Amino acid sequence: MTETITIIIDGQDYQVPRGMNLVDAAKMHGVDIPVFCHHPKLEPVGMCRMCLVELGSLAVNRETGQPERDENGQPVVRWFPKLQTACTQEASPGMAVRTDSAAVAQARYNVLEFLLTSHPLDCPICDKGGECPLQELTMAYGPGQSRFIYDDKMHLAKQIPLGDLICLDRERCIQCARCIRFCDEIVGDEVLAFHERGRRLQIITISDPPFDTKFSGNTTDICPVGALTTVDFRFGARPWELDEVASICPHCPVGCNISASTRLDRDFGGRKMIKRIMPRQNEAVNEIWICDKGRFGHHHSRSEERLTQPMIRRDEEWVPITWETAYREIAAQLARHGRESGFLAGASLSNEDLWELRKLARLTHADCSLGVWPATMGGIEQVTQVGVGVGTRLQDLGPDSAILVIASDLDEEAPIWWLQVKQAADRGAKVVAANGRATKLDQYATVALRYPYGEAVAALNSFAVIARRSNAIDEAFVAARAEGFAEFDASLKGARVPKPYAEAAQALLGAKDLVVFVGGEGVTLAQHGELMQAAANLLILTGHAGRANNGLIPVWPGANMQGALDMGFGPQATHDLIAQRPAMWIIAEADPVAEDARMAEVLVGAEFVALATQFMTPTAEKAHVLLPVQSFAEREGTFTNGLRRVQRFYMAQTPLEGTLPAWKVFAHISSSMPGGAKPRIAPGLVMRDITQHVLRYAEMSYPNLAHVEPQFPLVGGEDMYYGGTAYSNHGGLGVQWATNAEKEKYSLAVRPVDVARPRLDGLAVVPVRLLYDREPLFAPSSIMHQRVPAPYVELNVRDAEALGIAEGDAVMLTADDVQMAAEARVNSHAPAGTVLVPQRLGATPIPATLVECVVQKMEG
Amino acid sequence: MNLVRGFVTTFKHVLEGPVTIQYPEQERPLRERFKGRHALKRYDNGLEKCIGCALCAAACPADAIWVEAAENTDEERYSPGERYAKTYEINMLRCIFCGYCEDACPTEAIVLEHEYRLSFSDRRDAIYVKAMLLDPLPPGVEGTPRRTEPGQFTRSIPVMENPK
Repeated sequence: MTETITIIIDGQDYQVPRGMNLVDAAKMHGVDIPVFCHHPKLEPVGMCRMCLVELGSLAVNRETGQPERDENGQPVVRWFPKLQTACTQEASPGMAVRTDSAAVAQARYNVLEFLLTSHPLDCPICDKGGECPLQELTMAYGPGQSRFIYDDKMHLAKQIPLGDLICLDRERCIQCARCIRFCDEIVGDEVLAFHERGRRLQIITISDPPFDTKFSGNTTDICPVGALTTVDFRFGARPWELDEVASICPHCPVGCNISASTRLDRDFGGRKMIKRIMPRQNEAVNEIWICDKGRFGHHHSRSEERLTQPMIRRDEEWVPITWETAYREIAAQLARHGRESGFLAGASLSNEDLWELRKLARLTHADCSLGVWPATMGGIEQVTQVGVGVGTRLQDLGPDSAILVIASDLDEEAPIWWLQVKQAADRGAKVVAANGRATKLDQYATVALRYPYGEAVAALNSFAVIARRSNAIDEAFVAARAEGFAEFDASLKGARVPKPYAEAAQALLGAKDLVVFVGGEGVTLAQHGELMQAAANLLILTGHAGRANNGLIPVWPGANMQGALDMGFGPQATHDLIAQRPAMWIIAEADPVAEDARMAEVLVGAEFVALATQFMTPTAEKAHVLLPVQSFAEREGTFTNGLRRVQRFYMAQTPLEGTLPAWKVFAHISSSMPGGAKPRIAPGLVMRDITQHVLRYAEMSYPNLAHVEPQFPLVGGEDMYYGGTAYSNHGGLGVQWATNAEKEKYSLAVRPVDVARPRLDGLAVVPVRLLYDREPLFAPSSIMHQRVPAPYVELNVRDAEALGIAEGDAVMLTADDVQMAAEARVNSHAPAGTVLVPQRLGATPIPATLVECVVQKMEG
Repeated sequence: MNLVRGFVTTFKHVLEGPVTIQYPEQERPLRERFKGRHALKRYDNGLEKCIGCALCAAACPADAIWVEAAENTDEERYSPGERYAKTYEINMLRCIFCGYCEDACPTEAIVLEHEYRLSFSDRRDAIYVKAMLLDPLPPGVEGTPRRTEPGQFTRSIPVMENPK
């Protein structure tokens, strides 16, 4: 804990942490020091001068060392002759501040009058009007009238597209540089800058394509005026007309807390629709940021393409049926096929959906396989043991922390985690970015480790070897908790460790906190299990388990893979099912046919396939019954994020007529089966069932999940100067389930891992994940289409030369029985001998990971 | 005596003419400031004054006004600024004719006119949509939406003359 000191604000003593920014310290105690350029998440610059205060220090008698007192016994304060900017001051002992004097009021008045000299009177149509710090502070501290001549106002360009998502209004800008500083300091993308000087000072974008960052939308939130607005929301509604509904982003495992701003809309049939997505403050998850995929990727929830009618295939025609008919049909088929049925759940189902699907499966037969899709990553055992500790906040990782990111491109797979790891690196945390190729994290990493694809497990295992050799083992922890240490220890002896691995390992060892992010890039499912175990071995060996800010974070695909695994679904079961080829399938919110070449054949061979889906996906085309289910926006539920935090989302949008939440569909099918119970009437009751049956979810009742506490920094709500009514978190902070490492009674298993690497001759395929792809939940957001590339493969220059392929050539990639056409990109991203193939850019499946492939140039 | 005084009053009124008029054949003249049905005004060039800011809706104590805004383009321009009212509806059953909307309007687009003959046989008919509220076009002027020259309308809110 930082030391608490006493400062005097307006004659009153306050206890504040030493070194805290004075504006924040005052705000913590309810004293407003208005600001424009300062933001608690950014470094202070003192540009806008709005925070001028009288500053002084307690006079100290030099002889006695005691504070001097006047005749009334009050401490004597030596005031600075001029006003000082509070945002550039850090709280220190003996500091005295006056925020309520006439001089301060006059300074604020003058600063505002000056800022308003050329600010246009756009408030009636400005998207920020109503939640605008400039408006609020002018009302509170500013002049009611301008002394300047109206006709002499500067008229600058308006509606300047700053990239395809953000719109700039030069007239409204007050040059606070929050947007520039956000991009430079927090994201590290230098895409915005000031141009010219003095009164001509203006914001420009200096990147090509313009404003090229995945976090551009956040600048509109922190902009204290309406200079930056999103093209998506433009004129969508006035802020006071919007209902803020707490929700959770359905796109990636970070589980960003979002606020869906909703309003009734004539064009949406007079129903409630999402007008915009805003970040919701959760300091343990996304702080106050979200990526552009989360912000602009909500359009699928009311896409024209959504299915709104249960349908059955009869003679190759889709025939609409009622829900009752669909339930009866599926129940009858389940009864007929019995053990011969397989269940497959997607990674975007809520925990309630998964639970009802599991109940349905258990009703069919007690030990049926519950598969999860995508089935590329496993390792729930290791997460259960040494998952990151309860209370972890990535923003707390600092100089004495170490972070290892392995087999993942965090920037593309979980952008907010990337942001937090990058910021931790800026604060001095040791970051090791280990992958088979260069990723964006490399430039911030202490060590950027390259291993040949296929050698991820060996690389991670060598970290344990080095820890063993350099006596970095937490012996007490190992002795008390580790199980199977002797055998594991024996496997570490004599292992050869290449020098780069040893150097990377040294960077991590000795840190107080260690977080390991494990992705699934370039590893098979079996290898991924080993990779997770290798990570667990390292964490247990070095005693970095069972504490906050320590442990394992899997970079799952999808928003609720963690929940699916918690509910008993698993990737191995999926592979078993594909091998078994059951006669009947129930698939929920997954599109395996578009992702795996085998699945089309498997489903065509099946007698009956029921699919719960929002869209007519390639998988839907192979199904026999389609069940139109609701998107995240139209219902209540919970997602569990990669930090195992179970978080609630609420109904934001009026459901499309004819759709039902997936949990209800499965519950109704169950009730049509012999022995099935009556469906629950609300998802909260389904969660109550879960709390009673799934041990680790015992605390996850809806009221618990909805619990909120005050968070710092104070943004949102009544806040006047950080801009953004949507930040307030009224929906709940979520609850993390505790790992075994946090419970003394469990021992933690370490074991030798299989470091064998697959033998590959020729080119190997490595599927990579891109943030902006064409997955069904993102493709309908047409505003983002410019960011989604056409299908391409990346080849190393040397391989391309050998094959006679040049940049931009159309190529055909053949592996196993998959053929895909794509554009070739020839560069040094792909290591020699590998072809990087982005997932979900086209409608056809791409090859599985690490298989040999042939790339041919297509003629003509 | 009181009796006589009473009858005098009575007979005086007998001799006066009736205060009622034969509506609708006859109509009373309206005061200039009478607040009747709203009208959405146009500029002389036919463009709509309304910019869809929804301040009228915010000011309305009866929640009678519903506004949805959209963006003007030079290909399809309704009003001189950046924004126009895509949907503009007033529920005349809710309206209390207080005129707050008129006070709130930054462009003097909504005015409570002298039309007071409002009657409905269906509740839905009481909702006046934008087409019913908009003033007719001045003669010889092109209607909205219309195509305009790029660069002609560049302000977020049209510059208005200061009230005289």
